[in-house]
Amino acid sequence: MKRNIVVSILAGLIVIGLLAGMVGCAPTAPPSEAQYPLHDPLVRFRIATTTSLYDTGLWYHLEPIFEELANVEMDIIYAGTGIALEYGRRGDVDAIIVHDRAREDEFIEEGYGINRRNFAYNFFLIAGPDSDPAGIMGSTATEAFEKIYDGGINDPDTVKFVSRGDDSGTHAKEKLIWSQAGFDYEEVRNSGKWYVEAGKGMGPTLLMADEMQSYVLADISTFLAYNLKSGLGIAPVVEEDPIFLNVYAAIAINPERYPKTKIDIANKLINWLISPEVQGIIGTYGEAEYGRSLFFPIAGCDMPGCPPVEDYTLPVPEYTAE
Amino acid sequence: MPLVETVDLYRKYDGQDILKNINLKVDKGEVFALIGPTGAGKTTLLRLIDLLEMPTSGKIYFAGRDAAKSSKVRFQMRRRMAFVLQKPVVFNASIYDNIACGLKWRGVKKNNIRQRVGAILEMIGLSAYQDRNARTLSGGEAQRVAIARAVVTEPEVLLLDEPTANLDPLSVAKIEELITGIIHRYGTTIIMATHDMPQGQRLAGRIGVLINGKILQAGDPREVFASPRSREVAEFVGVDNIIDGIVVSAEEGMVGVDIGGNKIIEAISPYPVGEEVSACVRPEDITLTPSKTTSSARNAFSGQIIGAVSLGPLSRIEIDCGFRLVALVTRRSAEELALEKRKQVYATFKATAVHVLRRN
Amino acid sequence: MTELWEGLVTAVKLIISLDPEVMEIAGRSLAISATSSAIAALICLPLGAVISFNNFPGKRTLINIVQTLFSLPTVAVGLFVFVLFSSAGPVGGLGIIFTPTVMVIGQVILISPIMLGLTISALSGVDKAITDTAISLGASGFQMAVTVLREARFAVLAGLIMGFGRAISEVGLSMMVGGNIRGFTRTITTAISLETSKGDLELSLALGIILIALALVINLALNRIQQR
Repeated sequence: MKRNIVVSILAGLIVIGLLAGMVGCAPTAPPSEAQYPLHDPLVRFRIATTTSLYDTGLWYHLEPIFEELANVEMDIIYAGTGIALEYGRRGDVDAIIVHDRAREDEFIEEGYGINRRNFAYNFFLIAGPDSDPAGIMGSTATEAFEKIYDGGINDPDTVKFVSRGDDSGTHAKEKLIWSQAGFDYEEVRNSGKWYVEAGKGMGPTLLMADEMQSYVLADISTFLAYNLKSGLGIAPVVEEDPIFLNVYAAIAINPERYPKTKIDIANKLINWLISPEVQGIIGTYGEAEYGRSLFFPIAGCDMPGCPPVEDYTLPVPEYTAE
Repeated sequence: MPLVETVDLYRKYDGQDILKNINLKVDKGEVFALIGPTGAGKTTLLRLIDLLEMPTSGKIYFAGRDAAKSSKVRFQMRRRMAFVLQKPVVFNASIYDNIACGLKWRGVKKNNIRQRVGAILEMIGLSAYQDRNARTLSGGEAQRVAIARAVVTEPEVLLLDEPTANLDPLSVAKIEELITGIIHRYGTTIIMATHDMPQGQRLAGRIGVLINGKILQAGDPREVFASPRSREVAEFVGVDNIIDGIVVSAEEGMVGVDIGGNKIIEAISPYPVGEEVSACVRPEDITLTPSKTTSSARNAFSGQIIGAVSLGPLSRIEIDCGFRLVALVTRRSAEELALEKRKQVYATFKATAVHVLRRN
Repeated sequence: MTELWEGLVTAVKLIISLDPEVMEIAGRSLAISATSSAIAALICLPLGAVISFNNFPGKRTLINIVQTLFSLPTVAVGLFVFVLFSSAGPVGGLGIIFTPTVMVIGQVILISPIMLGLTISALSGVDKAITDTAISLGASGFQMAVTVLREARFAVLAGLIMGFGRAISEVGLSMMVGGNIRGFTRTITTAISLETSKGDLELSLALGIILIALALVINLALNRIQQR
């Protein structure tokens, strides 16, 4: 009878759904030697990561290593610093990886995060079209921004700037440079069509800048990765400036705020990131393809703006609930 | 105790009175025909009896119990009745499944269903087609399936709403045969609505005439046809000759009705002199002859034929005798007597054939 | 033009080689949308019958609202569901944010108006005489509803197909509440979104073609049933 057929189809769909769901949840690795005593193999550990670490494929490389080590399933959510902080405030993730010192401090002060450690750094740069229509070659960061602004106001079809526009760490750095150059950011945003807000991650923003042949503030790692992958038609123009220092941090979510946070795994991750082994991996990641590593291990940071040694050498303590 | 009874039943739709003051009693085993013109309210009355709708006021009793008690009670009562709609409605499934559905819903066991459905399929002559989709059937076949589907649940009351309307004569005959068969085999109480008076006369033991929402007369079919109690009923049951007049003589049950123009119609009636009446004569009771004959008929009028229409095996002749008369004769007679327009004829009818109605 | 062609070639290669990541993503899209369609059907068919066969004050208004919700923007539903199920939200205790479970729930919310509205309209399209016949034959409320659903099965199934189509093709909701996590909540549509923004158009096109092919196959299968 027709009704039986419809019922069996529905039942079949549900069965397929459940089976597929189970397949998705199957453990990817057999229990390893370093079995973490407090968790069963099917624990899901969730982090939100800044886009540059994702777009360069670093997490793709690190994820399976940590999963095996900690015997967890790692869920990595692609999110700019702004969204990552929001996820952290809502307790939807167990740890966040971000790169904006000012907002990190605020986050911790508000009680949402604990155990911040820095583990890597790289540099920003300003990339732009080969023709350099705004003539920023050789300037400092603030000077370059001034010239881009003037060029953009006068000739918006030739001089353009693509901003991340997404409240990310990169976007925060961009706003900092504008303010140091004496601009009011809101005014810059609304000053003309030369200023484009992409609202995207680092990789996609680079592609947009390439498409539009405009200037863009990017970190060197993502730039190199995308240049190799897609062949960008824009090139680094301004690179040397202390303000371009970009330090990455890992922060665990405060279990006192969100008791369900998998704090022990988060601590494990943070300690692992600052461990000599991983620092070594970070130091060599990308050498083969790019001739240089994409990121620098934090230990080598010795210029103004680098974090103090404790911020990256002290292992985080085990969490004890009060 | 009647099986179905309605008391002071009223039904209104959008302020319109569809049924007014219906008092009906149907006994177990009766075959009751509800006749009336289209729009009289027959379908509505059947729907109320089947408890598909609730009356605006009044009561319905089934086997002595008040149907207004609760919807649960109504549900139980409905399961003891069955309704066949005017338009043949079949479900988009096989004939077997259609007929079996009522039994399935009552939780009858599969074997039992097979037996009963098989028997009914035989009765309607569609056993060979039981797996065919019912939607492919003709109107007549679909109606047979609908009736079978209703009857197989062995209802105590079977309600049929104009079961042969929209069907060709052959199908009509088949269905009437089926209904008669059901009456004989199961003794089901039947309430059927029809606008076909002869059908009502053929199949029913009792007739109710429903006109404009009221039951104007109910009783033995012959009595209703021959002695309508009001002008409207008379018009509906096919009394084509309704002649107004005044009683001018009354003696030993015999009256003379003056219909004007110095003509008197003689009839058997209890009304006194001076009573305003209408004389009703069925067209088939009028005999036509080319010249005055010596017959025992008390009423004889000469007139001129003003219309002659052939209705299959019969002919309808309209005559002007100073007043209008309509006669129904066999076509043979019409031909033999050469009944055509402008011919002079004599129309005669017995006093016993005249039914006198009080006017207003 | 070359991009489209290369996309097609890549698609075929990925399918034939049963590329594990693509298979996993496709399987997940199918599983999530099939489950949400099934759950929505289980809710909307009976609910549609109840609404259709009963008269109550505000019935007209209710049906109008349902029809208005046909065009719910997926991101709006996504945002709403995210705020509900986020750990900071009212139902956050369940801890199902960023999992396929919450994606199914979100899709059920998204496609229920369509399924409900089309079921109601399918049932109203059935001749009242059928309802009357069923009732007069002694069908209980439930039995009558099943009968009418069966009579309207063609139109009802069309509603189910539409609902499934909307579920499997939505991005906004899956992205927001699922997080597009590789290996866990990534579906074809969110993967296309990601790959496109990363500039890998070839892979995106390939995934798009696979999605269309999947939808076509399912539709064909359901149509076959509909015809019977």
